[in-house]
Amino acid sequence: MTNPVIDSIRLALGRTAASGVAPRPPVYPARAADGPDQELARFLAEVKLVSGSAQQVAAGEIASALQVLVQEQQVRKAVLWQTPGLTRLGVGAILGRLGVELVSPHADKHTLATCDLGVTEADFALPETGTIALRSSAEKPRAVSVVPRVHLALVAPSAFRADLHQVFAESRGDPYLVFITGPSRTSDIELVLTLGVHGPKNLHVWVTDMPAG
Amino acid sequence: MSQHPPDYIGFDRYTSHVPRGIAAAVQNATRRFATNRKARIAEMPHWEDLRRCGSDIRLHTLRHLDYYLEKGAARVTEAGGHVHWALDAAEARQIVLRIAQDHRVTRVVKAKSMATEEIGLNEALLAAGIDTMETDLGEYIIQLAGTGPSHIIVPAVHLRKEEIAALFSEKLQIHAPPDPNALTAIARNVLREKFLQADMGISGANFFVAETGTLVVVSNEGNARMCTTIPDLHVAVVGIDKVVPDWESLTVLLKLLPRSATGQKITAYTSFITGPRRQEGENGPRELHLVLLDNGRSKVLQDPVGGEMFKCIRCGSCLNTCPVYQNVGGFAYGWFISGPIGAIFSSQMLGAKAARELPYASTLCGACADVCPVRVPIPDILRHLRHRMAEGDAVGGPTLPQPVRLVARLTGWVLGNSWIYRTGTRLAPFFMGLITRNHRISWLPWPLSRWTRVRPLPEFNSGFRTWWRKTK
Repeated sequence: MTNPVIDSIRLALGRTAASGVAPRPPVYPARAADGPDQELARFLAEVKLVSGSAQQVAAGEIASALQVLVQEQQVRKAVLWQTPGLTRLGVGAILGRLGVELVSPHADKHTLATCDLGVTEADFALPETGTIALRSSAEKPRAVSVVPRVHLALVAPSAFRADLHQVFAESRGDPYLVFITGPSRTSDIELVLTLGVHGPKNLHVWVTDMPAG
Repeated sequence: MSQHPPDYIGFDRYTSHVPRGIAAAVQNATRRFATNRKARIAEMPHWEDLRRCGSDIRLHTLRHLDYYLEKGAARVTEAGGHVHWALDAAEARQIVLRIAQDHRVTRVVKAKSMATEEIGLNEALLAAGIDTMETDLGEYIIQLAGTGPSHIIVPAVHLRKEEIAALFSEKLQIHAPPDPNALTAIARNVLREKFLQADMGISGANFFVAETGTLVVVSNEGNARMCTTIPDLHVAVVGIDKVVPDWESLTVLLKLLPRSATGQKITAYTSFITGPRRQEGENGPRELHLVLLDNGRSKVLQDPVGGEMFKCIRCGSCLNTCPVYQNVGGFAYGWFISGPIGAIFSSQMLGAKAARELPYASTLCGACADVCPVRVPIPDILRHLRHRMAEGDAVGGPTLPQPVRLVARLTGWVLGNSWIYRTGTRLAPFFMGLITRNHRISWLPWPLSRWTRVRPLPEFNSGFRTWWRKTK
């Protein structure tokens, strides 16, 4: 099958379908990770620098931390990822006891849009930029981290990676990945920083030791 | 500002009366971004190495563009997506319209995309009766206002909050207060409904990873995520220059882009999308279409000097540093892309006739080349295009009027032969003396009178060498 665009490029470059490819120039190497404590401190500081809220929460303190979050953000309806980590921490059960209505992550988009809170579990965390990375599957739908006005992401210490290189080495075969760094933001009106324009206005990142399964 | 390719860009005409307030508003934005950029780069001692690396990777990709594009397209198909090739803007519009009509689409939400502005997609969709909504806040505002963008990253920066409030009040039939937070909240509510109702989301892509057929889209607002997550159908319109070989290459470019653009370490959201959703319940589109747009790019690639502009990753840092752009704003460049990169892009894509003033829309100060994260030699390309206009080259014949070309050639000859130049500077005081009055030259014969009518010249004293010998 002929492709006029490819033909035109080959004509311009003086190449043919049989032309070889030189090796890709080397890329700048990955940053080396510091010790775990420094990486954690840096991660928390970077999330705060981009108007996110970040803290370490012990597994035993999840209930009280959720209570504070629900009260402060007036959470009435929430949607959760169905991951083993969140289940073992009992996030859904605790929210239920706090009187929060739980919506199925497979509810239709209009129902999801009525949720105040979406809860996810980060697959990767990048300390250098305060970034969390989320994969996607039927148990981990993409809308949960973008549609509700508050996003809570739990991060296991094992999710930390030094640089993009390590994340991409693991995720390159994934159909979907998203990096999230702070809440949704814009400066489109008179360059005034405004949060929560389309995605969540509030991002909470809790670094938590996930209980073993 | 026309979205469709203009047949003539009146840069000179526009710049002789730039609307009041444009320069001040644009300078607020450029100063902010340039300051932030500087702070980010100060944190990165290896920034120059990263730039060199980014430049090498982009150049390598352009030199093997056919290979990487075919590979990326094949991977998209394997991942369950549909790939379309568009030789020109009309073909690209037809492809998107056909996809929309095949799926009985009535409502479209759009993320900011320069490729769709390049092909005038909004107008085509609206003309076909399809409700088409820009969802980036700045783009939404200028769509309501019916104007073009004044800056690549903050398109509505020329409008004050009072003007935006009045616009919202009029168009949305509400009472909108002149407060950025309140105005943003109003736009969120209006656009939230649009996202939920849309049958199709349209985006561009910042990068297209050949290795896996992955579209990489960055956004701060999250509107690009909404456009590519909520509707069942996603169409991405992507220039063929956006391809990168692999994920390793991406590590470099993703560090260069946000730091150069807004001075952020990373953009709030970066989505990596490979094909449509795999599982029911995962969200994301059921169907993904990728339109790969040539629109004259392959022809420009014939010229190794000019073709290097396609290394550009559209960060806008050359705009933020350009003294010309800062004084005239984005409208002056007459098409969807402005500033120094716009001057070389539009000149080459639209041709020497339509954009004949743009190679001269620069002082050649070189600031753009200093900040470009992938080292696009913008001043060299401008000089190259000026040379083409005067002398012609393999790409095109000379287009300047004969007298101007003669003057250019004469000047080149004088400046290129030191003895003529030296003799000239010795003889000049004598001839100048004949027309100098009160140490000023206020009259010269036509066509030089066009200059002296406005601005008298100071008296000619002596050549620099003579002055230096006397003074040192």
